Amino acid sequence: MKKIVTLQQSIMAEDEKFAAAIREENRKRGLLMVNLIGSPGCGKTTLLEKTAELGGFPFAVIEGDLATDRDAERLAGWDIPVVQINTAGGCHLEANIVQKAMESLPLDSVDVLFIENVGNLVCPAEFDLGEDFKAALLSTPEGADKPLKYPYLFASSQVVLLTKTDLLPHLSFDMEMFTEDVKKLNPEAPVLLLDASSGEGYDRWISLLQERIREKRAHGR
Amino acid sequence: MHEVSLVESIVTALEKMMEEEGWTQISEVRLRIGVLRQVNPEILSFAFETVTKGTPLEGARLFVTDVPLEYRCRECGQMWGEEDGLCPACGSPSRETLAGMELEIESLEVEENP
Repeated sequence: MKKIVTLQQSIMAEDEKFAAAIREENRKRGLLMVNLIGSPGCGKTTLLEKTAELGGFPFAVIEGDLATDRDAERLAGWDIPVVQINTAGGCHLEANIVQKAMESLPLDSVDVLFIENVGNLVCPAEFDLGEDFKAALLSTPEGADKPLKYPYLFASSQVVLLTKTDLLPHLSFDMEMFTEDVKKLNPEAPVLLLDASSGEGYDRWISLLQERIREKRAHGR
Repeated sequence: MHEVSLVESIVTALEKMMEEEGWTQISEVRLRIGVLRQVNPEILSFAFETVTKGTPLEGARLFVTDVPLEYRCRECGQMWGEEDGLCPACGSPSRETLAGMELEIESLEVEENP
């Protein structure tokens, strides 16, 4: 016998249960969780290294990559607790895998858990990991037209980080178009310009994190 | 390539549901997808055909409804739909996204034993 079943449920309903469980766990802990999303080579690991150097607060990292533990090795040098997830070809992380990885991190003794997602501007933006917010990274050599080409990431992130600004003099990066496009997609998200070689711009990133850590602690623990 | 990830999520969810509900077959799947999700309908159909092969969903018909963008201004309540930043009525940057981000299974046609 045939019948029509009305569902009106999210395609990701199954995985969203894991994301909700992570969010609840972190709320109780008062732990801030940030999902870093950007292309391969845009500077996600460098951002974490600079955050370790300048931040002054303890954090842990879950590294998502298709293969190798090179990013985890880079961060181990900074004495940061890090777990590497290899997705073996998978183009994004999912909440069920993240939840397992969290078990092996000392989350009660850190202020922030960063997820360095697989380098990709599409799928990682679509899978909720239970984070407090997503940060979209774009490096200047990738081109100023990317926000409109990958609108979901830029519309659903709470902060946009433009990295490698030291290269701007060598590129024809249209800054006005970039900031206008980001504003169209996401009028309230701050756009931070970061230069890892001089350290310029990181003060805003660090103070944004410190503020969010304070808010999160005030509501948890 | 995210179409494949999406279809895999759909198939996992529906296989589980079939088992729980005791359906013998799913013959039709209707989805609602927001424009901001950038799902390519042809790639989605192809991914659906490929991923469902050998599963209880093989041969099911797939229909997709596109959901256009819809914003509402938090300041003045104005609604608008284009991909434009500020409220066209009062210029406020504070807005809610009411529609355009959907990734939903709207309905199914299923077979069950009488």
